[in-house]
Amino acid sequence: MSAVPVDGPVGSLRYRGGVRTAVVMPAFNEAEALPGVLAELAEAVPDHEVIVVDDGSSDDTAGVAAAAGVTCLRLPFNLGIGGALRLGFRYAADKGFDRAYQFDADGQHDPSQIATLLAGLEHADMVVGTRFGARGADDPGSSEGAYRVGRGRNLAMGLLRWLVRRATGRRFTDTSSGFRALRRPVLELFATDYPVEYMDSVEALLLAVRHGFTVIEVPVRMRERRGGRPSNRNLRLAYHFVRVLIVLTSGLGRRNRLGVAA
Amino acid sequence: MTGTAHLVFAVLALLALVLIINLVRLQALKAKYSVLWLTVGALLAVAAAVPGVLDWVADKVGVTYQPALFLLLGFGFLLLLAMHFSYELSRLETRVRTLAEELALLRHELDENED
Repeated sequence: MSAVPVDGPVGSLRYRGGVRTAVVMPAFNEAEALPGVLAELAEAVPDHEVIVVDDGSSDDTAGVAAAAGVTCLRLPFNLGIGGALRLGFRYAADKGFDRAYQFDADGQHDPSQIATLLAGLEHADMVVGTRFGARGADDPGSSEGAYRVGRGRNLAMGLLRWLVRRATGRRFTDTSSGFRALRRPVLELFATDYPVEYMDSVEALLLAVRHGFTVIEVPVRMRERRGGRPSNRNLRLAYHFVRVLIVLTSGLGRRNRLGVAA
Repeated sequence: MTGTAHLVFAVLALLALVLIINLVRLQALKAKYSVLWLTVGALLAVAAAVPGVLDWVADKVGVTYQPALFLLLGFGFLLLLAMHFSYELSRLETRVRTLAEELALLRHELDENED
């Protein structure tokens, strides 16, 4: 896996042969941070169509999105990030978009990094923006990513990295990054099969690799989250961590005959 | 078993049977569950009405302590039932999720047409 150089400003990527790009943005009670994020996107990538998926918010997330003039899909109740993403991908696939990328509604992702991410699609079906740089994967603390994580989390992420490497035969430095871009074939896969439980990002990585798609990482800068709050409590995180460990080590995670995600 | 205990068990079994028949009568249970619970109710009623039955069965299968047989059967039954419910729940959740997606897409389409 190699790092992809950034070539040219965002402008050079626009309307290349009429390529349509969707921004899938799950939002759960993000009315506070959303206007700023949407304004930044409108400025940085005016020709990308933003699809906000209101994941059963109790605040005015949908109203804020409508006021900004972007597409908003309102779920009747909270499905969790994976469910919201799957709906966004499904919509983007239905509407014939050529590529899509995930973007956080809480301001964690930096619009200036979108060009870097999308440039990666020239060489791959799916691109993951990593906080830790493409090299020095096993020592994220000292990398140039400047994204610092606690010791426990560091350990957990290290274990995930190692298991993902075992399961996929590929080396990924940031398996839980939610800053990802995908091309049409992957978009179609994710529209129906995106993992809906929490820690979806790890499983999605596995899903794409198992379907034979090329997945690469590119180093990106990320910011501190602006509004909202971390969507998970420790106990739930621990449960899902163990669940994903089981998925990774047992080769589950594919749909079984009953159509129930294993 | 003493006469009083016997009476208590008979009454409890009868209550369970009445409850089950009532649920079935009101069509509050799906047919497959109706059959299941009616069978359970009938077995309970027989066991309570004729205490000798349980002893007889226990003797036949070689269980010396009869209540153990009863508990074993009950536990096994509940375990299977819980597994079945987990399966049904998983299936339902998948369907509800798909419905929610469908609803969000339709709602969006409706919004667009109103403009």
